[in-house]
Amino acid sequence: MIRHTLLFLAYELRNTFRNPIWPLFGIVQPVVYLLLFGPLVAGASGQPTSAQLTSFAPGMLVITALFGAIGVGYGMIYELRSGVLERIAVSPAWRPAIVLGRTLRDGVVLVLQSIVVIVIALVMGMRASLPGLAIMVLLIAVTGLFSSGIGYGLALSLRDENGMAQIMQFFALPIMLLSGALLPMTLAPEWMRKVALFNPMYHPVVAGRALFAGDLTDVSIPIAFAIMLGLAALTVSWSVRSLRRIAG
Amino acid sequence: MIINAHGLRKTFTTRSRKGTQTVEAVRGVDLEVRKGEIFGVLGPNGAGKTTTIRMLATLITPDSGTAAIAGHDLLKAPRAVRRNLGYVSQAGGVEENTTPRAQITMAAKIHNLPDPAGATADVLDRFDLTEMADRPGSTLSGGQKRRVAIALGLVHSPPLLFLDEPTTGLDPQNRANLWDRIRQLRELGTSVLLSTHYLDEADALCDRLVIVDHGLVVAQGTPGELKREVSGDVVTLRLDEPDRAAETLKPYARETRVDHDVLRVYVDDGEHTLPTLLRALEEQDLRLSSIALDRATLDDVFLAKTGRSLRDAGAAA
Repeated sequence: MIRHTLLFLAYELRNTFRNPIWPLFGIVQPVVYLLLFGPLVAGASGQPTSAQLTSFAPGMLVITALFGAIGVGYGMIYELRSGVLERIAVSPAWRPAIVLGRTLRDGVVLVLQSIVVIVIALVMGMRASLPGLAIMVLLIAVTGLFSSGIGYGLALSLRDENGMAQIMQFFALPIMLLSGALLPMTLAPEWMRKVALFNPMYHPVVAGRALFAGDLTDVSIPIAFAIMLGLAALTVSWSVRSLRRIAG
Repeated sequence: MIINAHGLRKTFTTRSRKGTQTVEAVRGVDLEVRKGEIFGVLGPNGAGKTTTIRMLATLITPDSGTAAIAGHDLLKAPRAVRRNLGYVSQAGGVEENTTPRAQITMAAKIHNLPDPAGATADVLDRFDLTEMADRPGSTLSGGQKRRVAIALGLVHSPPLLFLDEPTTGLDPQNRANLWDRIRQLRELGTSVLLSTHYLDEADALCDRLVIVDHGLVVAQGTPGELKREVSGDVVTLRLDEPDRAAETLKPYARETRVDHDVLRVYVDDGEHTLPTLLRALEEQDLRLSSIALDRATLDDVFLAKTGRSLRDAGAAA
């Protein structure tokens, strides 16, 4: 069981690094925000960019995790159409390993993407707590499991690029805005702040700000970990079940 | 028996805005495939061939029916069935961004082979793929991809291989090449279950076959037996009054069939019956525009069993 999961993980990692289009595409958006939106937020708040980045960069990591889900979903639909998934499903591979190997691959890729985004932010002058950064990367890895669980679950249930694009497009923008990743929810009216609490992506953004600022004892951190771990378990098992439905 | 399936059924339910629709894809199929034979499932598109193969390959669960594959129960021991199976789907499942060698090695590892690299090199060599083994899948031609797909299904040397429409979309040269390779499998003792909608393919490759239509087996036997059942030869006539001609020729024929302006007359010995038929037509003043004498094909068998030609049935589906 574990052998098969590691086998798929190693195989998928090798494929991803040979042709890293999706991971590179995945950090374009957060990096552009970092370079072209971060300074605007700083200007609006009257703070220097380097100081503003400490609260702006964590949101960019969450956005990377969010958009990663879209990429992995499309990848899975391609594997459905080309018969790759069906071929693997007829092998004696342990069923959950087929999805788990890919989900773990997404986690590894997301950690690497996060490090790139963090390095760019540091080069732009961000100052942040080092243990905070390390814990944030861990939190982002869990967030990534949650979002790629959604990506695979949707892909395996819808089995159609168009349906997938519509759903992703419908939800991605409100989730991004209501997470406070771009502009913090402290600027929002009361009702929006209440809605944001029900947005899963809001919690890692808040926890990330505390972590980057070095408030390692902030209560938002365990809350974010608990919510993300719970949701990740839910979405990953959903995607494993969806695979069983198409492939016995 | 390497496959012993009885009463397989599968109904699909699709929900759309127009309401719930059910399609009875397979309506009670029995299959008995002997060890070492190439067994065909011939039928038009939509006859239930792919659904039958996907059920036997553990991909979909039958609504009812039982099957033993290589001695293992399909429903109770799917993992044991999968270990004994090679499955090549219509889509093929060849990855575009990965090399054939990497994909096949991975398949060998999933099957827990002691020497994955060696087994991969062997099967690549057998299918003349060594030269392109380290190029990405996207650079391969259609025929090469097909061979990679089959190599992926054979790397663990399964006793049984499923080929779903293996030559669809291939040019004649690649088809002939693939036929030879499938025949070689028989020499090596691998049993093959192959679905096809090509008559010539079923005729050329299969030791035995079933003809399926609308989810049911309508005929079963060796290609020779099936054709003898319809009768040996078929005389195809084109003429203005096919119905009157059919009446005239009935005493000399086993069976006659009219299809628009074409009359098909099934006879046991075409060479010797032909002059008699021509004389009878002349006596009745029936004017012929063309006449042809052929050996009966599997299409004639299909026509006799279902009342439709396989070519028309395929186009309609």
